[in-house]
Amino acid sequence: MIGIALVIGGFGLWGLLGAKRIEKRVKQLKNLRLAIGFLEKEITYNYTPLTHAMERTYNFSPKPINIIFNECASLLRDKDGITGDEAWSKAIRKSAHHLDLKPEDLDLILTASNQLGMSDVNEQRKFFVFIQQELKIQEDKAVEDVTSNQKLWSYGGFILGLIVVILII
Amino acid sequence: MNLLDSSIIEREIIPYLSPAIKSILHNAQANFYDGLEEIRLRVQKPLVLKIGDIDFTVNANGRITSNLEQGYIITEEDILRTIATISDNSLYAFEEEIKQGFITIPGGHRVGLAGQVIVDGYDIKTIKDFSGICLRVARERKGCASSLLKKVWNKKGQVNSTLIISPPRCGKTTILRDLARLLSTGSSEYSPQNVVIVDERSELAGSYRGVSQLDVGIRTDVLDSCPKALGMIMAIRSLSPQIIITDEIGHEKDVEAIYECANAGVAVITTIHARNIEELKARPLINNLIEMGLFNIGIVLSRRKGPGTVEEIVKWGANIVV
Repeated sequence: MIGIALVIGGFGLWGLLGAKRIEKRVKQLKNLRLAIGFLEKEITYNYTPLTHAMERTYNFSPKPINIIFNECASLLRDKDGITGDEAWSKAIRKSAHHLDLKPEDLDLILTASNQLGMSDVNEQRKFFVFIQQELKIQEDKAVEDVTSNQKLWSYGGFILGLIVVILII
Repeated sequence: MNLLDSSIIEREIIPYLSPAIKSILHNAQANFYDGLEEIRLRVQKPLVLKIGDIDFTVNANGRITSNLEQGYIITEEDILRTIATISDNSLYAFEEEIKQGFITIPGGHRVGLAGQVIVDGYDIKTIKDFSGICLRVARERKGCASSLLKKVWNKKGQVNSTLIISPPRCGKTTILRDLARLLSTGSSEYSPQNVVIVDERSELAGSYRGVSQLDVGIRTDVLDSCPKALGMIMAIRSLSPQIIITDEIGHEKDVEAIYECANAGVAVITTIHARNIEELKARPLINNLIEMGLFNIGIVLSRRKGPGTVEEIVKWGANIVV
């Protein structure tokens, strides 16, 4: 009986965590979009140099999204010939395991690295606006994901656990 | 002239270069940097170090040679990474500087840029696809203008409006900067003066984000990246200068502004490109300024015995006491 409870409980917990991850993804996509908006304003209105703009965005944004901006600022601070896009890509790869984002979300924000900081204000603005619009689309899709898949994950874990138990018996 | 401290190059310039160039220069003999005036990076061309009048290069092993063909060949990546570091990956923050063709880095060193120039009508919009960088080392030679001070002050205890005349690379900016420092600081012999530097190309004070990186004196205000003519008028109205210092005059509007300065009783010390007085007087605009008595003395410089060699000092204006 204890074994049955453990199998069902384990699968159930796995399902609940999956459901939570779906919910967290929506929140993180929203926070990421707001953070990119903040970075855009730092760059296009205040002309803040990229390293400092990343530090300010880190301070402005909530965890765990702000980890990306902190990593990026830290790489840029080293002044080791690293370009903005390399720093941004490295920062995303280093931060990915702290986040609940899907690979497609990460791919999207990786495109933000293209020409990061290395063009005039108008070009930077166009790029940030584009990324924010794309993030909004991802966010809407993620909300739909919550309504359609959250229950499936929540109950699915327990059901799967039950099926495994039946198959074993 | 004193030799440039090679530690300045290592501390203030080499860190801005691409990792590949940085590593080559770290292997090179540091004492070679004394007297270094320019570092030139051009895509697919050898790295060039201008020391005095001679171009040197460094090969991939860090050996310095005057045979440029043996030099390290600059790649597009070197240019990109150097510009990324110089601009802190923030070209958008340097739009105005890029329009003028250069960025100033901490220490007052000027980085000239070459590439595809984008124009909007007659105005330069930006430069993109960079293909060349000219890193010009800012030289601070404290005391290099001391011997000129007694010529700049007249017997009535006033500062003469002074025109420094020389071809490029003869040290006129360095002398002008030191004059600003000496006049502004004063001494037991000469009373301190309120000085305004109108620094259109950020060369005199070497300002980085508005803060002067070079010593221009304790009573000196700097109007950085400000067009000369506008800056001179603005300074008269708002900063009550006794002396206005600016570099490389030549346009009609500059002449009008100098006239305004003279009317306001403000001495102007400035420079102009010419090899000698005859060449200078062949330019009607400047000749008129001299004939109107707006300049009291002219100092001609050359590189004959090194940058800053004083070739001639001329006195102008019948009523001027020099």
